[in-house]
Amino acid sequence: MSSLLGCNHLSVRFFEDKEPILKEVSLHINQGEKVLILGPSGSGKSTLISVLAGIIPEHIEASVSGEVIRKKRVGVLFQNPDTQFCMEHVDEEIAFSLENRKVPREEMDAIILELLQTVGLTIEPHTPIANLSGGMKQRLALACLLALEPEVLFLDEPTAQLDPSGRKEVFEVIKNTATRTGQTMVMVEHVLDGCIEWMDRVILLDKKGQIIADGKPEQILNQHKPEMQEAGIWIPQIYPHKWEDIIQNEDHPKRIALVNEYETRKETTASKKLHDPVLEVNHLEAAYFKETILENINLTVNKGEWIAVIGNNGTGKSTFLKILAHLKKSKKGDIRFHGKELKKWRDRDLYQHLGFVFQNPELQFINQTVFDEIAFSGIQYQWKETDINKRTTELLKEFGLEPYQNQHPFTLSFGQKRRLSVATMLLLDQDILLLDEPTFGQDAKSSHDLLQVLEKRKREGTSIIMVTHDMDIVDQYADKVIVLHQKNQAYADHPYLLFSNQELCKKLAIIPPIHYQLIADLKEVEDNQKQRVLSITS
Amino acid sequence: MVILMTIQNAFSTLAIWIYVFILGLTLGGWKGKFLVKVLLPYSIFFVLTFWMLAAFGKGETVVWKWAWFQVTEESIGSGLLISMRMLAFVTIGLLFTTTTNLYELMMSLIHQGKLSPKWAYGMMAGFRCIPMFQSDLAQLKEAHRIRGYKHSGTWKAFFRYAVPLLTQAIRRSEQMAIAMEVRGFTGEKDRTYYQKTYITVFDYLYFSMMLLIGICIALFV
Repeated sequence: MSSLLGCNHLSVRFFEDKEPILKEVSLHINQGEKVLILGPSGSGKSTLISVLAGIIPEHIEASVSGEVIRKKRVGVLFQNPDTQFCMEHVDEEIAFSLENRKVPREEMDAIILELLQTVGLTIEPHTPIANLSGGMKQRLALACLLALEPEVLFLDEPTAQLDPSGRKEVFEVIKNTATRTGQTMVMVEHVLDGCIEWMDRVILLDKKGQIIADGKPEQILNQHKPEMQEAGIWIPQIYPHKWEDIIQNEDHPKRIALVNEYETRKETTASKKLHDPVLEVNHLEAAYFKETILENINLTVNKGEWIAVIGNNGTGKSTFLKILAHLKKSKKGDIRFHGKELKKWRDRDLYQHLGFVFQNPELQFINQTVFDEIAFSGIQYQWKETDINKRTTELLKEFGLEPYQNQHPFTLSFGQKRRLSVATMLLLDQDILLLDEPTFGQDAKSSHDLLQVLEKRKREGTSIIMVTHDMDIVDQYADKVIVLHQKNQAYADHPYLLFSNQELCKKLAIIPPIHYQLIADLKEVEDNQKQRVLSITS
Repeated sequence: MVILMTIQNAFSTLAIWIYVFILGLTLGGWKGKFLVKVLLPYSIFFVLTFWMLAAFGKGETVVWKWAWFQVTEESIGSGLLISMRMLAFVTIGLLFTTTTNLYELMMSLIHQGKLSPKWAYGMMAGFRCIPMFQSDLAQLKEAHRIRGYKHSGTWKAFFRYAVPLLTQAIRRSEQMAIAMEVRGFTGEKDRTYYQKTYITVFDYLYFSMMLLIGICIALFV
């Protein structure tokens, strides 16, 4: 069979590197195939699709050897929703693709409307792009690519910078487009739930940039799970098992595991709560440009307590966190830190006790090396040099950053940057750590490593307040979860009690972790059976 | 604006300002609240400039004198002129920015100004970066605050902020450039246009009217 695109003995090396990023890769993709490329960071998966799409060596320079079979008309969806657009409005953006293809003006309006429908954007075409959510932006980006009528669609971690609900909507749209049009697709992802189910083929790369597996999704998942876990890929929660099987078969291993998980969570509710308040919030009201976005928030954070803050986009989670860190002002209410009003604290004293980890770690780095970055606060507070060196080295070890201590923070991998950003906030042994979506866009391994370090800190008495979208983290780590919903604090208690309350979850648009769903579904099945028995006997 | 600069008379400047102001109200669709917000600071500035020039300016015919203030006829004249001129400039600038859409301006620069699409589309992409740049800077400042960094010397602080901001900006623009090129953008003129701009009779009419009224005011008021 003649392949649509592919490569033979492809090796790629960037000029600044000694080692090639891809080594002797041979690959052939057929018309209509949906291919998923997996691998650890630095395995060259993005490089591979850049070569196949023609970005390398056309737009990015690199030394390429081997044979590459390309298609002329391709579309590439990148991971950052904000750097793919060059226009202000939705219609202009799609039109930009059409203009490049020299589509006559008369045909444009109809095509734009049709494409918006294809990607499920039911908005007025002349909407400013800035008003769209991340998921909507990615769908618009997809529409812009479909406007190119590509022979192959490349997707480079299209959901890496989206929250779970955005990810779900983007995967759905990609899937629908794929199945309807029979479009050939090559995708790189590290989250498999929501996309692996409809993939034809999975290719697994290793750290050295070589293909180690190529086959059907189930086969790869069954045979190469350890490699995938090592690579930091989020293993699907159910697939290749089927939900119906789990529900029907009492001895299904997945079912047993999930029920166990549920029981463990249930037990955690019984743990004794300490009352040793570090931070107290009473009747807090917050506004964003005069518009009230939060009202009547009450919260007590005890020593060594882990608090998760959740809520849909735009509910003011980040603003709330910044108010607690005194980076933004509240409108009304009383916040006390160690019993003293927050606004009476001097910045210098406050931030010795309170650390804040920002969403984007890069904008948090202010020094030239990893070592200096961690040591910085010590210098600002005029510590003795020996103390600074000792504490910094300890933290470097704790966060696995020792080998990189002389590098510039920007040269670290995404996971390392995140760990560094947390480490910088712990030099002073801060009593409380506020984190704004620290696991956002992280692979499974980095995310797990980070949470382990935080968990250890928590046991040592650090209080943690964390904004997140990941319900599994909330379930597994948090002692208390705050749900912000329609300007109010809709819930503030143990996560188990939230997730096992199906009605409440539905009302607050929360999708509980999978073991809660299983228990709920099992209960439903049981109830149905009971009813059937009742109706038969009567 | 050229006319404005050559006028030596405060009253004709006032007349031009009133004219532009009326244009803004009728064609620009300015609303009361917006005007107060935008023009009020400038009006205060106007009074201050006037007072500075009037009270400390040179002149022979003294009108009023108290302590070290000396108001002369000449200084009143020059004060009024300069401050009026400033206000008129601001208002004209405002008229331009409120009535002109960036996309249309760029399109007309391509179609009428013979600007290469490469530059015009590049500029539009650049404008999209400004809000991102602002939010980056805000976070950077907060990050420094948290770390106990004090702004010692503005130049040092400037470089501290400039490096990460530029790194972000360069990376972002690179990504944008690649995204645009992959979507088939070549920068050549050989493309179709979603929106074309044309010079209509109305444009000529508007231009000549502006010129005529401007000259009339300059000459006769």
